[in-house]
Amino acid sequence: MNFKKNIVVLIFIYFSQLTIAQVAPDSIKTNQLQEVIVTGTRTERNVATLPLPTQIITGESIQKSGLSRLNEIIQEQTGLITVPDFGGGEGIQMQGLDATYVMILIDGQPLLGRSAGTLDLSRISVNNIDRIEIVKGASSCLYGSEALAGVVNILTKKPKITEKLKGNLNYKLATFNTHDVSTTFEYGKKKVGIELFGNYFKTNGYNLSESDFLQTIEPYYNFTIQPKVKINFSDKINLSVNSRIYNQNQDYKAEIGTDKNSGESKINEWNNSILLNQTVSDNFKLVYDLYATNYKAHEYLNDQNNQPFDESKFNQWYYRPEIRFHYKLGKNTLSTGIGLNYETLDRTYFENKAALNSEYIFGQFEWFIKEKWNILAGFRYDNHHQYQSQFSPKIGVNYKWNDTFSLKTSIGYGYKAPDLRQLYFDFTNSSVGYTVLGYNVAEEKLALLQSQGQILFTNGFTFSTPLKPESSVNFNFGGYYKKNKLSFDYNFFYNTIKNLIDIRAIAQKTNGQNVFSYFNIDKIFTYGLELNTTYKANSNFSISTGYQYLIAKDQTIVEKIERGEVFARDPITLLSFKLKPSDYFGLYNRSTHTANIKINYLIPVIKTSVNARVFYRSKYGIFDSNNNNILDKYDDFVKGYFLTNLTLNKDFKHQISAQVGVINLLDYKDQNNIPNLAGRQFFTRIQYQF
Amino acid sequence: MFKSNFLKSVLLLSVFSLLASCSSDDKTIPATVTLETKTFSNLYAPQTGGQGQPVGGAFTKFSFSQNATVIDDSWDIAFRGTTIVVNGGTAIGITDEPTRTGSGAVSIVSNTLSAVNTIPNTTTFTQDGANTYAIPTGSGNGWYSYNATNNLITPIAGKVFVVKTHDGKYAKMEIISYYKDAPANPDATALSRYFTFKYVYQPSGTSF
Repeated sequence: MNFKKNIVVLIFIYFSQLTIAQVAPDSIKTNQLQEVIVTGTRTERNVATLPLPTQIITGESIQKSGLSRLNEIIQEQTGLITVPDFGGGEGIQMQGLDATYVMILIDGQPLLGRSAGTLDLSRISVNNIDRIEIVKGASSCLYGSEALAGVVNILTKKPKITEKLKGNLNYKLATFNTHDVSTTFEYGKKKVGIELFGNYFKTNGYNLSESDFLQTIEPYYNFTIQPKVKINFSDKINLSVNSRIYNQNQDYKAEIGTDKNSGESKINEWNNSILLNQTVSDNFKLVYDLYATNYKAHEYLNDQNNQPFDESKFNQWYYRPEIRFHYKLGKNTLSTGIGLNYETLDRTYFENKAALNSEYIFGQFEWFIKEKWNILAGFRYDNHHQYQSQFSPKIGVNYKWNDTFSLKTSIGYGYKAPDLRQLYFDFTNSSVGYTVLGYNVAEEKLALLQSQGQILFTNGFTFSTPLKPESSVNFNFGGYYKKNKLSFDYNFFYNTIKNLIDIRAIAQKTNGQNVFSYFNIDKIFTYGLELNTTYKANSNFSISTGYQYLIAKDQTIVEKIERGEVFARDPITLLSFKLKPSDYFGLYNRSTHTANIKINYLIPVIKTSVNARVFYRSKYGIFDSNNNNILDKYDDFVKGYFLTNLTLNKDFKHQISAQVGVINLLDYKDQNNIPNLAGRQFFTRIQYQF
Repeated sequence: MFKSNFLKSVLLLSVFSLLASCSSDDKTIPATVTLETKTFSNLYAPQTGGQGQPVGGAFTKFSFSQNATVIDDSWDIAFRGTTIVVNGGTAIGITDEPTRTGSGAVSIVSNTLSAVNTIPNTTTFTQDGANTYAIPTGSGNGWYSYNATNNLITPIAGKVFVVKTHDGKYAKMEIISYYKDAPANPDATALSRYFTFKYVYQPSGTSF
């Protein structure tokens, strides 16, 4: 009897999660194809009719995996590869494009704080995530700069107006002395609903190196507090206020020569959004959206005598007011929006506080022609004050043959504006002596260095035309097939980016080192195929597989090789030889093949579910080892590898559930090449729901 | 069939060599006209100073025709650290520079050593001059690239120097190592400033 009740509660919990996910409160459908996605159009759209490649990670699957941070979840998804940057943070590579081109949103609002270009995903706790929506391919038509490769939208749980206090408490203990504590409270009365989420995460980090002073990942702790309020003033007007406060503190160490320096690295982040929804009439809806965020980082190093050695600060503010109009014409929806961006950045190595501002307008039409066709057409125009204004169009077509079969294709324009570092940086490495200058200040700073007699010669670069945004054209063609227990989807993608920003030496200093600045130089392309299948045998057993084939190359290098201008050295004879086009491997950090298999099995006898995931990534290169500045097949590669993660879930009485699991079961490590891959880690988690 | 062709070739070659020896009787002629690819190993090119201090020390001078380092004016190119000078042009203006007495020059070609079969256009040849190097210095500019992570100097693949010797002959050369005994993967312990290069010296013709 009691047991039955628990099951009911459990089912209720699962379904209530799905209900939130659906937005439309009257449909409680588990069918994947009935899933609603908001990121692709900023309206609630059925995945099945949306002509864009998308992926949804459900809160349930996140919960079942037992993972704690967003980077861990992302690296389990087909076609998404987490790539570590210099600072140890991990970003997302999508359709073979770098992490700098992937926009990360929390509840539809952009996250900032890319001090070195990558946004560290481990900042985000997954404990209160309702679902993660991923739209692949250029999405600048809706989101502007940065959304060149795609958008990852993390939707956290929304407050519900329930008349009683609800919540959960969960605690996870894992290897490396990792503790993860989360709690959620929900309460509502009449027209007001509130939710409070708190998370504390602490770990000792890990060490893959021999050093007993430096660790691969130094110990850190962080906390996240996310309060939300929702007020339904009337049937027609509601207000949501969402905040997120994040604070992290990590040990920071550096060995310079034989000196051992230590200090701390701190991050303080704050996001606040106010959203007012107004239903003017049955077919006209208005959204007033006000967003502000601040990302502050501070790190310092002291030498062995505890005297200050180095310090750096980073303080970024971003404000974005936006108004969106959604107008329904029969089954079709016309959406438009206007807004403005204002961003400031004050950091070490900037002479002055730098600011970027722009105004934008976007429009989109979702056109349903008869039963089977859907056309999605949109554009966005960004009027930038610091660089070339951008017009980003996109069009997609979906054809739904019947319930089991559909085809979709889309083409779009994406861009990424030069970031403030590329425009205003003024950095001189204190130990080696090279200098990096932002494009907008390079001329002036170079003249200054010249007048100080620090310059031997200049390489004759001019800075008369403004640095252009990096821009891409993205093409997708895909579809799905679904029948009974089997579903299958595929997508071909092609991206070409021009005006890629890279550094070039603009002058040589008298100390023999170079002065660098940023220029629009390269042209790259990526193409590939993504495949996903799911087979759901019954409610106790399901299996899914994913695969991505990827080619990512630099167009300039391809042409150089075709002209016979690229050489390599035979390691035995040490003589040079000409590279063939087939010898070129492509861009760094790209694997040709990545694949996964996930199995979910509920063992009825012991009422325990087994969630096993196996991942494969084929070989890839991270540096040029034969000194011809390109990655060819004669270079050293990071070996391909398999990873296995396993989680067991069991539900007990009194709304208590428990998990045990192991991440990286086979203890695969490559200390020199994969710093973000720790060894085998065990964990256990207990959750109480009330 | 094969045999007769072979015989013909031998015959042809002997006639050729006979003609060749007749035409230039006042010079020492190599025993064979078949151009040979030679490897010169561990040419030591020390320098003093560096790393902030003024660079100095004698250049190590090399003669292609003699396949040896020389101390007289019969040198074609000379080495000191990563700096290479030619026996042609005027003084660059660096300390302990050897006196140029010849008409040497160099043309830098992007290719493999064996694929360079002709002498490049004369306009591509450069000589040393005041503050200019026929073979540019610095990482990525001339013959090597420097890796700041492991401090290794690596010859750039596909850089062939067609050198006009001091007496107006030609040689093509490729530097293959800067480290003693030309290890395939030099490490921090490898002794530097030991040049190993492959070259083909052409004593008479204008093709290789």
